[in-house]
Amino acid sequence: MVQINFARRELSCKIVYYGPGMSGKTSNLEKVHEILPDEAKGRFTSIATDGDRTLFFDLLPLDVGKIGGLDVKLQLYTVPGQVYYNATRKLVLRGADGVVFVADSQPDKMDENLESLKNLEENLAEYGVDLVDVPVVMQYNKRDLPDILPISDMEAKLNRLKWPSMGSSAVRGEGVLDTLKKCSELVLQAVSVRAKAPAEAATTTVHERLGKLEAAARPLRVDKPPSAEPARAAPSPGPTPAAEPALPPSRERIQLDSSSGRRSPIIAVIIAAVVALIGIVIAVVLLTK
Amino acid sequence: MNESEKLRRSRVLFYEQDIGHIGEILEELLRLSKAKCAMLVDLDGHLITKVGGTTTFDDQTVSALVAGSFEATREMAKLLGEDEFSVLFHQGKRDSIQLAIVGDRAILAVTFDDQTTAGMVRLYAGEATAQLADIMKGVTERKGGSDTDRIPDSLGESARGRLDELFGGKKEGKQKPEDTSSSAKA
Repeated sequence: MVQINFARRELSCKIVYYGPGMSGKTSNLEKVHEILPDEAKGRFTSIATDGDRTLFFDLLPLDVGKIGGLDVKLQLYTVPGQVYYNATRKLVLRGADGVVFVADSQPDKMDENLESLKNLEENLAEYGVDLVDVPVVMQYNKRDLPDILPISDMEAKLNRLKWPSMGSSAVRGEGVLDTLKKCSELVLQAVSVRAKAPAEAATTTVHERLGKLEAAARPLRVDKPPSAEPARAAPSPGPTPAAEPALPPSRERIQLDSSSGRRSPIIAVIIAAVVALIGIVIAVVLLTK
Repeated sequence: MNESEKLRRSRVLFYEQDIGHIGEILEELLRLSKAKCAMLVDLDGHLITKVGGTTTFDDQTVSALVAGSFEATREMAKLLGEDEFSVLFHQGKRDSIQLAIVGDRAILAVTFDDQTTAGMVRLYAGEATAQLADIMKGVTERKGGSDTDRIPDSLGESARGRLDELFGGKKEGKQKPEDTSSSAKA
């Protein structure tokens, strides 16, 4: 949760790097820490296991400097990616003002990416927060590896809400600052939007307010491999022109089970067959009498 | 959760008088208990205010770790059938720290050395916690309105220049990944 402290002239925000295990969340923070000047960064703290796997969180406080008369401070966290650390992952997510979802670009990691995305939504829901209300940036990491999925495929499978997205190689430091810059911008923009238009803020999603009207209205269900075309066309960060029609916010949950969507026509056919059969039986009984 | 509650929970605002009042309570706590430093931290790990102590430690990091430590212990309490452990105490060779929950939104962290005792700190921190809880309740339940004129109109727009300066002007790597999506460049 954003804290605005007028006495200290400070605005503090929390950005959480989320994603499956070994996708590069800690590498992102390490690179940010390595690249930024000393005056802009605090101590990099990592609560990790002996094997350098994040146990609780990594933390990097940043001092962005004065913006609009307020001293803006960011706290960057990573969550532990391993499935069995969900309790601590959920704790870190508490009060997040923005999320960077770090997806692994390797083909065999797609299921883990999808599971982590679903887990993000579930954990936010436990705090009473809807995923569509949180500024999110999607980062497709490990673009330096030889065998990786095309961005368009990853967009289609992971980025149904059309968050701003970008490729990266965290270990090389490519794309890490772009990702952080975009997420910081969205978070700060959301602060002023919420303050200035509380009524709108209470009834629309953050990405709608930030210009993601079309995206928020699309269904999230991953039923079939979508074509790459809409995925490439959609991500366009920055406010959507006001002339764009305002669509109702999508509150649908990310649903990974693709079978349930096809059930209703089958049930309708069965019901119709049963009704017809009963009719025939009744007719036969009446005729025999 | 209704919509106004949802909005209220999306950010918390502290005004000069809130921090002034909190500061007075913390100063009184330090005077009576002879502790070294008192920090009020919100449950998300942001420092609200600090009184006493030195500048030798990183306030932001300590605040985040205080919140993380408290949250982890709270989960442990739930597993043991307790609502929460309302007071935590970590003892060091030279300095010690006591953490106490303030209402349902903040944590009071008090550091002290051998100039006082854990009992003294606990006694006076308990009194301070009750007063701070009242202030925090007022802050979190306060209706929005007067804050709007003090938050810049377009914080995101204003931030862009500063963020470019900080994040955009640095060399990140030799070259960008080839198939970076179009949005990355926007």
